Amino acid sequence: MATRSLPILLLALLGLLVANLMFGAVSIPFKSIFEGFQVGNANYFTVHEYRFPRAILAMLVGAMMALAGALVQGVIRNPLASPDVLGVSHGAGLAAVFYMTFFPDADIRWLPAVALIGSLIAALTLWWLCGSHSSTIKLAITGVALAALYASCIDFLMLVKPLEINNALLWLTGSLWGRGWNQLSMLLPWLLLIPFALWLAKPLNLIHLGDDSAISLGIKANKLRLASLAIAVGLTASCVAICGPIGFLGLVAPHLTRKLVGGRHQILLPSTMLVGAILLLLADLVARTIDPPIELPAGIMTAIIGAPYFLWLLLRTK
Amino acid sequence: MKRLLLIALSTLLLSLSLSVQAVSSTQDSIKNSVEDSKGTFSIDYVPKRIVVLELSFVDALAAVGVSPVGIADDKDPERILKEIRNEIGEWTSVGTRSQPSLETISALKPDLIIADISRHEGVYADLQKIAPTLILPSRRANYEENLHATAIIGKAIGKDKEMQARLKLHAQRMADFAKQLPEGKEVQFGVARDDALFLHTADSYAGGVIRALGLKNANTGRSDDAYRQTSLEQFLAVNPDYFIVGNYVTPSIVDKWKNEPLWSVLKAAKNHHIYSVNPNTWSRCRGIISAETMGQDLIKVFKANK
Repeated sequence: MATRSLPILLLALLGLLVANLMFGAVSIPFKSIFEGFQVGNANYFTVHEYRFPRAILAMLVGAMMALAGALVQGVIRNPLASPDVLGVSHGAGLAAVFYMTFFPDADIRWLPAVALIGSLIAALTLWWLCGSHSSTIKLAITGVALAALYASCIDFLMLVKPLEINNALLWLTGSLWGRGWNQLSMLLPWLLLIPFALWLAKPLNLIHLGDDSAISLGIKANKLRLASLAIAVGLTASCVAICGPIGFLGLVAPHLTRKLVGGRHQILLPSTMLVGAILLLLADLVARTIDPPIELPAGIMTAIIGAPYFLWLLLRTK
Repeated sequence: MKRLLLIALSTLLLSLSLSVQAVSSTQDSIKNSVEDSKGTFSIDYVPKRIVVLELSFVDALAAVGVSPVGIADDKDPERILKEIRNEIGEWTSVGTRSQPSLETISALKPDLIIADISRHEGVYADLQKIAPTLILPSRRANYEENLHATAIIGKAIGKDKEMQARLKLHAQRMADFAKQLPEGKEVQFGVARDDALFLHTADSYAGGVIRALGLKNANTGRSDDAYRQTSLEQFLAVNPDYFIVGNYVTPSIVDKWKNEPLWSVLKAAKNHHIYSVNPNTWSRCRGIISAETMGQDLIKVFKANK
């Protein structure tokens, strides 16, 4: 199963990457794409400065969000879990909206840093409330409650300062618009988390058998849980800081992958990164080409695909 | 293997981005230098293909008879005043003002981009890679700042003399309008949406135009914002003599309020001093041509009243 799916996923990813370089407000024929990488070419800006970094960023962000989702689902052992239940993206959203409404003249370049701090504070708050020895259910419910609290604070800020609502809403839907090489370089250090996540694959399989069995097999369940969640927080926080909270990706991608390759984490984790990358590339392609030159935020697209899937999942989980 | 690939990829990305920065710093024989929101902007030619990312900049170009090749018009040509549309002719939409399509802008091969510091600061570096970018206040700007920005645009596009003359004519026209308007009357403008009324305070663009026409702004209380969302009760506390409303939708919240008993207590409602105007002209366009249209609107209002 897995051996059949992987090449198909890789091909799909490659195809979408090429499609992302070719299509947009202006279509560029396949042959001209390679010329677009040369300085001075007519398509240099569009291909090299705009579409290429944006597509790479979409792939990385998609992969990281999906990986974070798989890690959270792996340790919380609940199909409805996703990085969202940790309240990390809402924490980032609250920090970003606060910054935008109270410092409208401040430099926009600080926004990723502000969002990152917000999400890390949210994660620390969750840890402080739950400690490292509480049950996963308590963790999930506390996270959801905190996320709801942050969301209502965001609503409050936007209602009190309606002038800034446009900018805030745009950021909160999650978008790849205007993101390029700069944002990509900000994301690069966080890629170091990926090997650590993959290294956790084996113990994650064991914890799936239940805490007692895992402990008897030599797994330090609490430490593993803490490590997985910390990595998931790091991955999500860095992505949200740069693109805003792109909804449902962390929930949908791991599920889709589990359908394709099964639940073994050694296969699941790399495959879910591929699926996440494919989903976000597709979402951004659709967002850019559906009604050019209007650019829709990619976060709207992932939510349009993600929300019905989430409902379907809810209805099936009795 | 994976990590090796990552390292290779990141060095590739780094070297690519470095090579880009080296390209964009060759300019000699500077003709026009102006101060924009990011410092000194210099241009050594008269731009022929201009892309503008806010509506007020269209107004400034049209004032001296220059037609932009691309406008961030939210894909709705009607957002630009009819007079201005007739003046500038055809253009290409480059998408929304909040997220203009950079690839469409690039495809237009502009030689000057005029962007808004409030909306486009985040993509300023990208815009500069496409063409020299003049970045000025628009969205948050008041009347005086707008006039200042208009003068800067005139200089940057090599039409300094024409623009100065046009601004003088504008001041003259505004003074003429002021003469035809009763001095010191209290006028409040607001835009009404389906669910909210936003008063444009003394700090807003419309507030500035109202003052420039010799009229008075109503006291909207706390003056920390250019636009204030107002409930019916708060509006009653402001209680302006004249109320000018721009309805973004009909029926707007003001139409709904008209049936409320509180509404009939308003001074403007009692004396039938409520008028509706085109919200595009009064709120979105923000430029000398729209300011003159606003003056004419007000003259109509006060003439109808006599």
